[in-house]
Amino acid sequence: MSEFRTVARVEDVPAGTMLQVELDGEKIVLAHVGDRVFALHDECSHEEFPLSSGELVGGQVTCVLHGARFDLETGAPRALPAVRPVRTYEARVEGEVVQVRVG
Amino acid sequence: MPRNEAITGLGLDEYKYHFVTDEKPVFKAQKGLSEEVVRQISAHKEEPEWMLDFRLKALEIFYSKPLPDWGGDVASLDLDEIYYYLKPQDHMERSWDDVPDEIKTTFERLGIPEAERKILAGVGAQFESEMVYHSLKEEWTELGIIFESIEDGLKLYPEIFREYFATIVPPQDNKFAALNSAVWSGGSFVYIPKGVAVDIPLQAYFRVNSEQMGQFERTLIIVEDDAQAHYIEGCTAPSYTTDSFHSGVIEIVVKPGARFRYTTIQNWSHNMYNLVTQRAMVHEKANMEWVDGNLGSKLTMKYPSCYLVGEGAHGEILSIAYAGDGQHQDTGGKVVHAAPRTTSQIVSKSISKGTGRSSYRGLCKVYEGAVGARSNVECDALLLDETSRTDTYPYIEIDENLSSIGHEASVSKVGEEQLFYLMSRGLSVEEAMTMVVRGFIEPIAKELPLEYAIELNRLIELEMEGSVG
Amino acid sequence: MAEGTMTSDTRPDTGKEAAAGSLARGLATYVRSVHEPSHLSRLRHEGWKTYVETPMPTRKSEEWRYTDLADLDPESFTPVSCEGERVPVERLPASVRAAMESDRDRAGVMVRHNGCLEHLRIDPALEARGVIYAPLEDVADERPELLERFLFQSDVAPLEQKLWALHSALLSGGYFLYVPEEVDVEHPVHAFQYLDEEGGVVSTHSLIVAQAGARVTCIDEYVSPDLEKESLSLNGVEIFGAEGATVSYLAVQQYGRGVKHFSMQHSNTGKDSTLNGFNVTLGADLARADVTSHLEGEGARSEMLALWFGDRDQHFDHHTLQHHEAPSAHSDLLYKGALTARSNSVFRGLIKVAPGAQLTDAYQTNRNLLLSENASAVALPNLEIGADDVRCSHGATVGQVDDTMLFYLMSRGLDREQAERLLVFGFFDEVLERVPAEGVRSRIRESIEAKIHGG
Repeated sequence: MSEFRTVARVEDVPAGTMLQVELDGEKIVLAHVGDRVFALHDECSHEEFPLSSGELVGGQVTCVLHGARFDLETGAPRALPAVRPVRTYEARVEGEVVQVRVG
Repeated sequence: MPRNEAITGLGLDEYKYHFVTDEKPVFKAQKGLSEEVVRQISAHKEEPEWMLDFRLKALEIFYSKPLPDWGGDVASLDLDEIYYYLKPQDHMERSWDDVPDEIKTTFERLGIPEAERKILAGVGAQFESEMVYHSLKEEWTELGIIFESIEDGLKLYPEIFREYFATIVPPQDNKFAALNSAVWSGGSFVYIPKGVAVDIPLQAYFRVNSEQMGQFERTLIIVEDDAQAHYIEGCTAPSYTTDSFHSGVIEIVVKPGARFRYTTIQNWSHNMYNLVTQRAMVHEKANMEWVDGNLGSKLTMKYPSCYLVGEGAHGEILSIAYAGDGQHQDTGGKVVHAAPRTTSQIVSKSISKGTGRSSYRGLCKVYEGAVGARSNVECDALLLDETSRTDTYPYIEIDENLSSIGHEASVSKVGEEQLFYLMSRGLSVEEAMTMVVRGFIEPIAKELPLEYAIELNRLIELEMEGSVG
Repeated sequence: MAEGTMTSDTRPDTGKEAAAGSLARGLATYVRSVHEPSHLSRLRHEGWKTYVETPMPTRKSEEWRYTDLADLDPESFTPVSCEGERVPVERLPASVRAAMESDRDRAGVMVRHNGCLEHLRIDPALEARGVIYAPLEDVADERPELLERFLFQSDVAPLEQKLWALHSALLSGGYFLYVPEEVDVEHPVHAFQYLDEEGGVVSTHSLIVAQAGARVTCIDEYVSPDLEKESLSLNGVEIFGAEGATVSYLAVQQYGRGVKHFSMQHSNTGKDSTLNGFNVTLGADLARADVTSHLEGEGARSEMLALWFGDRDQHFDHHTLQHHEAPSAHSDLLYKGALTARSNSVFRGLIKVAPGAQLTDAYQTNRNLLLSENASAVALPNLEIGADDVRCSHGATVGQVDDTMLFYLMSRGLDREQAERLLVFGFFDEVLERVPAEGVRSRIRESIEAKIHGG
C-alpha cells in the first residue's frame, strides 16, 4: 500500500468545485463537497472525457458530454449512458493540503 | 409490366386523418423558445423549484449543443415557429362523460373503436399537450399500479419521480433530449409494484392538434422486481401545410426479474418532424421489448435502446418502418451489453416507396466483462420502385472476446415471381403487391395487439391503393 | 455554461500542425536529389498546397471516429533522401532476398529501400510487347502523356484528401505498371518496399493500368525491421481496368514495430472488367487502409478480400467503399480478422448503389475472431441503396473460437495452442487460399504462426 501524497492546496479547490491533478501520470479529479474531498479517475466511463469539466450536484458528479453521473464516494454510475464505475482513490485533507493515495 | 410507373404515384398524400377540430386551448404560451416560455410552463404547472431549475439548465444545454450532422435533414426545421406549450383544459377528466364533445369527436374520427374504449381497462388519452382523459380500472389502483399523467406523477409521487427522472435520458444526451427536458409537457407516469402482473395493456392514445405546435411528451415508467406489464402508445395527427414537430423522451426502468413491453405505432401526418429518445435500463434477469412501428411523419429519428446492466438481462427491439413519398424513416435500435450473459435481438423491417427513404441505424456494444453476451441483428429492406432508397448503418463495438455477435442485412425488391404466382391465382397486381408487403411485415405485425395489427393492415392497404394500374 | 465543452462534436481541434519547417526543408532536399520531371514536381506542389490548406480529420468525423490522428504529427518525420549509394542485391535485407529467392516466376521485380530504387528487372519479352514496369519518374520523362492521363486521377473522398495530398507531396518512390490491349502477363510483377529509416517518412505509389482485354497480377510487399524512432509510411494505389481487363492486386504489409502505415487504394473498373483486390495486414503499430472500388462500367466485377492478424497493441482500421456507379456490376467483399493480446481492429464498409445502377449484386462480409480478453473489434457494415432491382446484403460477426471444436480437437490429443492454431487457420483458409502466389502465401502463414506463438 502506497503512501498518501500531497496533490493540491485546499485553497486551489474551494468547496463546491473540482480540480484536475496528476499523480504518477494518472489524471485525477478532486471534488470538494462540504468538508470532504473525493478523488476519482478523471475520465467518464462512457466516453473519454474529463469529469473535472463537469458539475457537482449533491454527492454526484455529472459529465457534461452526455450527462452520465457518478457517485463521488464509490464511483458507481448513477445515470445513463454510463454503465460502468470510475475508479476512486482515498483522499484526505491534511491542514492546508489535499492528499491522495494511489494503488 | 407497368408496375414501376404506377407505384411512383403512390404516397401518403391520401392521408386519412385530414381534418381539424376547432382548438380551444385554455392557455397558450407564446410562439418560439425563450427562458420566459420555460418559466411560464413551469409556473403554469405549479412545479417545485427543482423542476424549474432542471428546465432552465436543460434550455442552456439545448442552446449549447449542435444539431446532429447525421441522420435526417433537420435544417428546414424552424424552432422559432413553434408553440412550445398548449393546455386544452385546466383539469384532468375523470370519466368519459366529462370529456368535451369536441374532443370525443376527434377520437371518433381517429377511429378508436368504441369497444376499445370500453374493454381496454385504462385509456390515457393525450389531446394536445396533456392528458385529458385518464381512467384506470379500480382493481389496478388496488394493486398499487400508478398510471397518471406525468404532471400528476410529479405532484403525487415526488420521491419516486425524482429518484428516476432524467437518470435514463439526461438532458445532455442529445440536443432534442435537452429541448424536451426544457419544455416537456404531457406524457405518462407509470409505476408497477413488485410482483404485480398486468395482462391488459396500458394505453395512451394521443394526438397533436394545433398547427405549428410542438409536442414534448415525457414518459417515465418504473417496473419493480418480478412485475409484468405492457404499455401501448399510438399517435396520429392531422395534416397541415407548415411543418410540425414532436420530440418525446421515454424513460423506462425494468427491475430484476421484471418483464416489460413498450409498443408504439406512429402515424404522424407527413409534415411532422418526429425526433424521439426512447431508452430502457434493464436489470438482472429482466426482459425489455420495444415494438416500434413508424409509418407517418416527414422525418423520424428514433432508436429505442436497451441498456442491459444486470446479469442475464434480455433486450429485444422489433422495428418496422414505412417510408412513402417525401418521407424519411431513420430508425433502428441500440443494445448495450454491460453485464455477463446478457442477450439481445433486433429485427428491423423497412419498406420504401416513391421518393421515400428508410434508414436502419443501430448500435450493438459489448463492454469488457460482459462474458457470454449474445446479440443478433437482422435487417430487411424492401424497395417498391426504382426511386425509393434504403440505407443500413449498424455500429458494432465489441470489447469482450467471450461473446457472440451477429449482424445481417439484406435489400430486395418485390419478386416478379411472387407477383406472377399470386396473379396466376386470380389476384390483381395491387392485391398481389399488398399481400407480398403484408407477408414481409408479418413477423412484427403478429407481435402487435389485435386492434393494432388490424389498423396496420388497414394502413398498408390504404398505401397500396392505386399503386398499380 | 461555456460553449465548446458540451459534446464530442465540440472537442478541440488537434493535429493542426504547422505546415512549414523541417518537413518542407526535407522535401526540398529530396526533390533536388531526384531531379524529377516537371509533371511530377507540379503534382507535388499542388499536393503540398492542398495538404497545407486542408485541416487534419478529427474523431468528430465518422471516417476517423476510431483512429485518432491527433497523435500523428507529419512534422516529426524526415523525408528520405536518395543521394546515398545504392545497395547491391546481395546486401539487401535477408528477408527481402529470401522473398526474391522463393518467388522465382516473376514477370518483373522491383526493390525499393526507403523509397529509393535499388533493383529493377522486367521480362524483356513483355517489354517488347509494350508492357511498362518502371519508376514513376522514368515514365514521366519518357511517356509523360500516360502519367498525365492516370496519375492522381482517382476520385478521392473529402476526408481522405489530407493524407492523399500529403502522400502526393512527399512521393518518394512509386512505379507505373502498364499492360497494353490484349496482353496477358502470365506471372506476377512483384514490388518490395523496404523501410529502415528511423524517424523517416516514405510515400510510395503503385499505378496500374490494364488496357482492354489485358490481364495482370501485381504484388506489393511492405517490410521493415522494428524501429526505435517512429516512421511513417504513406501509400497510394491506383488501378485502372479498361473494358474486359482483369487485374489481380495483392498488398502484404509486414512492417515491424514503430511504423504507422496509411494506405489509400482506388480501383476504377470499366465495362466487363474484373478486379481481384486483396489486402493482408500483419505489421505496423497502426495500419489504416482506405480501399475504394469504383465500379464504373456496366458488368464490372470487383472482388475485395482482406485478412489481418493483430497482436500486442496493434491498431488496424480498414475502410472500404463498393461504389456501384453503373448497372449490372458485381462486387463481393470478404474481410476477416483475428486479434490477440491488446490489439484492436475497425472495419467500416459501405456498399453504395447509385440511382439507376439496376441489377447490382453487392455483398459485404466482415468476420472477427477475438482470441484474447483484451482484444476488441468494431464493425460498421453500411448500405446506401438508391436503386430497387438489386441484390445486396451484408453481414458482420464478432466471436471467439468455437469451444466445441476446441474441446473436440483437444480430446483428440492436441494441446490448446495447437488446437487454437488449427482453428485460426481454419478461419482464414477461405481467404488465404486465394492469395495468388505460393511463396507469398507461405510467408503469410509463417507470420501468422509466429504471431500465434508470440501472443
